[in-house]
Amino acid sequence: MTETRERSKEVQIWFGPQHPGITGNMSVQTWLDGDTLTRGITHVGYLHRAFEKLMERRLYIQSFPIVCRICVPEPDTNEWLLASALEELSGLDREVPEKARWIRTLVLEMSRLGAMLMVLGGHAGSMGLGPAPQWMIALRDLVLDRFEELTGGRVYHMYIVYGGVRRDLPEGFAERMEQTLKTIESKLPLIDDVIFGSAVFRKRAMGVGVVPREWAFEMGISGPVIRAMGIPKDVRKDEPYEKYAELDFDVVTEEGSDIFARAMVRRREIQQSIDLIRQILARMPKEGPYCAELPNMLEWTIPVGQTYVRAESSRGEMGYYVVTDGSKKLRRVHVRGPSYVHGVSLLERLIPGTNIADLAPLMVSLQVCPPEIER
Amino acid sequence: MDDKIVKPEPPLGGPPQGSRPHAPVGDGCFLGEEMKPQAPSYKEALARIKNWFRANSLWVMAYGTGCGAIELRPLATARFDMERLGIAMRPTPRQSNVLIVSGYLAVKSLKRVIRSYEQMPSPKWIVALGSCTINGGMYWDSYNTINRLDLYLPVDVYINGCMPRPEALVAGFQELMRRIKKGEADGWRHYMENLDWYKENQKKIITDWDLPEYNW
Amino acid sequence: MKEILKEIEERFGPIWERVQRPKLAQVGIEPAKAVPLLTWLKEHRGYVTLVHLSAVDWIEQGEFQLTWLLGNPETEERLMICSRIDRENPAAETVSGLWPQAVTYEQEINEMFGVSFPGSPRQGVPFILEGWKDIPPMRRDFDTVAFVEKHIPGREGRKHIDTRTYIGEKFGEKGYLHD
Repeated sequence: MTETRERSKEVQIWFGPQHPGITGNMSVQTWLDGDTLTRGITHVGYLHRAFEKLMERRLYIQSFPIVCRICVPEPDTNEWLLASALEELSGLDREVPEKARWIRTLVLEMSRLGAMLMVLGGHAGSMGLGPAPQWMIALRDLVLDRFEELTGGRVYHMYIVYGGVRRDLPEGFAERMEQTLKTIESKLPLIDDVIFGSAVFRKRAMGVGVVPREWAFEMGISGPVIRAMGIPKDVRKDEPYEKYAELDFDVVTEEGSDIFARAMVRRREIQQSIDLIRQILARMPKEGPYCAELPNMLEWTIPVGQTYVRAESSRGEMGYYVVTDGSKKLRRVHVRGPSYVHGVSLLERLIPGTNIADLAPLMVSLQVCPPEIER
Repeated sequence: MDDKIVKPEPPLGGPPQGSRPHAPVGDGCFLGEEMKPQAPSYKEALARIKNWFRANSLWVMAYGTGCGAIELRPLATARFDMERLGIAMRPTPRQSNVLIVSGYLAVKSLKRVIRSYEQMPSPKWIVALGSCTINGGMYWDSYNTINRLDLYLPVDVYINGCMPRPEALVAGFQELMRRIKKGEADGWRHYMENLDWYKENQKKIITDWDLPEYNW
Repeated sequence: MKEILKEIEERFGPIWERVQRPKLAQVGIEPAKAVPLLTWLKEHRGYVTLVHLSAVDWIEQGEFQLTWLLGNPETEERLMICSRIDRENPAAETVSGLWPQAVTYEQEINEMFGVSFPGSPRQGVPFILEGWKDIPPMRRDFDTVAFVEKHIPGREGRKHIDTRTYIGEKFGEKGYLHD
C-alpha cells in the first residue's frame, strides 16, 4: 500500500498491522522522504474488545478473567490493580493476610521478570540478531513453568483475587524457583555477549531514538523509558505497594535515553528481579492463611467511591481508575497503560527524522503494547 | 491444475496386478496413511506427492492478530521449535500458505485479515486459535468482536482453549498436516467456489467496505 | 494533601474534596473552573503530569463526569479533578494546549462517549472504531448484548439457562434454598 505524492516527493507507507517488526496488532502510517521518516500517525483499534464495557456488565468476581487479558505478557499486574482498587473501596484491604501480600509481591515480580526477558529478546530480534530471542524466550518459558506450577496457567493466571490469592505455594516451590533463577542467571553473561557486545546492536542502538529530558514529566513518561534518562522514577519506590517497602533494592537508571540505554535498564532489571524474588522467597512466612474471609461473591456490593491505584509494570506506570456506585457491578474502569503515552503521543513525536529501519527497534524499546491503548 | 484426488480409473491395458511398477516403495507413511497397495493413476499419485510436499512445508504468515500470538513465540523458538515440523514464519502474505488467526478478531482487524488472506497464494489454510474464534469465547457480548470466524473465512483447523498451549498448537498443526496429506483441507477451494456467500457475510459486518472486488 | 485542597478552596470557591490515600486526593469542581484550576496547578503548584483523562457516565443524574488525574513528580502526589457536565450536548474545554498527550485522550472520549472538546485537534477522527454508526458505545444506554444479537451472528448452541428457574422447574420451589 504505497502512494507516491508527486508534489512533495513523499512516499506513504503503512507499517503494520501485518508486519513482523510491529509490536502487536497495530499500525503506524508513515511518510518517507528518502529513507527518513518525516511524520507518522499511530492507528490502533485492531484489538479493541471493549473490556471496560464488558466489566460494567459483570459481577466483581467475573471481572477477573477479563482484566488479565488486557496485557498478555504481564497479566498479573492487571489482576493486582483491580483487586487492590476494589479492596481499597470496600475496606477489605485491612484484612488481606500477611502471607498473601508476600505471594502477591512474588507473582508481580515474576511477571516482571518474564516480560523483561521477552522484551530484551525483542530488542535483539528487531535488529536481526537471531539467537538472542531464541534464548530469551526459552528462558521466559522457565518462568512460565513456575507460573504453571503455582497458578495452573501458563499465560493467563487469574491467581490474585480480592482478599489474597487463589491458593497456597506448592510444596518445594522455593527450591525449584531457585533452580530456575540459577539457570537464568547462568545464561545471562552469554546474552550480554550476544546483545550488548554485538557491534550491530551497539551501532544501531546508540544515539537512536533519544527522548528529550524536557518531555519526561509533561508527557507522563514512565518505566524503563524515563529511567533510561537518568531519572529515578519507579512506582515501587515512589508509592510502595504490597511488600516492596520492606525489600532492599535500588532504582536502576542509565544515561543516554537512547535505545541502548533502555535495553541496558531492562538487562539490569532482570538481575534486580532475580534478586528481589530471592529476597521474597527468603522472607516468605511459612504458615498462615493466604486469603481473607470473603463475602458471598455473587451478592457482594461495594459502596460508592472512586480511586486510582498504580503499579510498576515492566513497561511503566500502570494505573486503574475505578468507580463504584454501590451496586453489584462496576460503574466504570479506566485502564491507564503506559503504552497509551509511549505508543501514541511519544512515538508520533519521535518519528520525524528517524530512519525507517530504526522504527521497529524504536517501538520495541518503548515497549508499545496495543491492547493497553485501546482496551 | 487439478489437485483433487480423482478416483482411479480401471487400468486400460495397464500393467498386470502383480508387478505394480508405479507402486511406491515402503509403507503408507511416505504418501499418506490411506495409501492402498495398488497402482494408482498417475494423477492420483501426483496429487498425493504434491500434498505430501505441501504438508511438510507449512509457511506461516507472521501476523499476530490477537493474544494467541504470545504462544507462537515459544512455539517458534528453541523450546518447542516448530521448524522441526517444517513450519516456518514468513514475513509477507505472498510467501506464506498458512494464516494463523490467533484469537478474537475485532471488526477492524477482520478487514485486514481478509485482505491478507486474499493476497496469499493458493493452496492456503487457516488455523484458528482459541475459543473466541469458535463461538466468541469470553467476548461473546462484546460489540466489537466477531463471534464465529468460519462465516467470514474458511477455517481448516480450530484449536480450542484460552489460550491454547504450545503443545496444543503442535497437535493442531499435525492435524492440519494429516488433513492436507489426505486432501481434505481444501478450505481455500471452498472460499473460491462460495465467494459470493463469504463476501455477503463479510459485507454485513464490515460497515465501511473498501476492499477490492475480485473476479477469480 | 490537606494544604493544597485548602488552597484550592480559597482560590476557586466551594469544592467537593476527599483524601482517598495519603498520596491521592479528589476534588470536585464546577466545569467552568476546571481548566483554570488545571492550569494553575500545572503552572504554580508542580502538578505537571497529566496521568489520564477519563469520563464516567452517570445516566441517572443526566450527567457525564470528567476526571483529570494530575501528578506531581517531585512529591509523587496524585490529584483527581472531577467535574460534571450536562449529558445533553456534552462539551468541555480542551487541555490539549497544556499537555500534548491530552489530544489522544480527548479523541478517545469524543469517540467512546460523544463528549466534544472544541478546539482539540483530531476531534471526530475515529481512533479505535471503524465505520461505527450507532450511539457512542461506552454510554450506559448502549446495550452491547442487544447490538451483538442484532449484528454479530454467533454459533448455535449458546442457550442461556437461568439457574433459579431451571432448578425451580426441576426440583420444585424448595430446590433453591437461598432467599
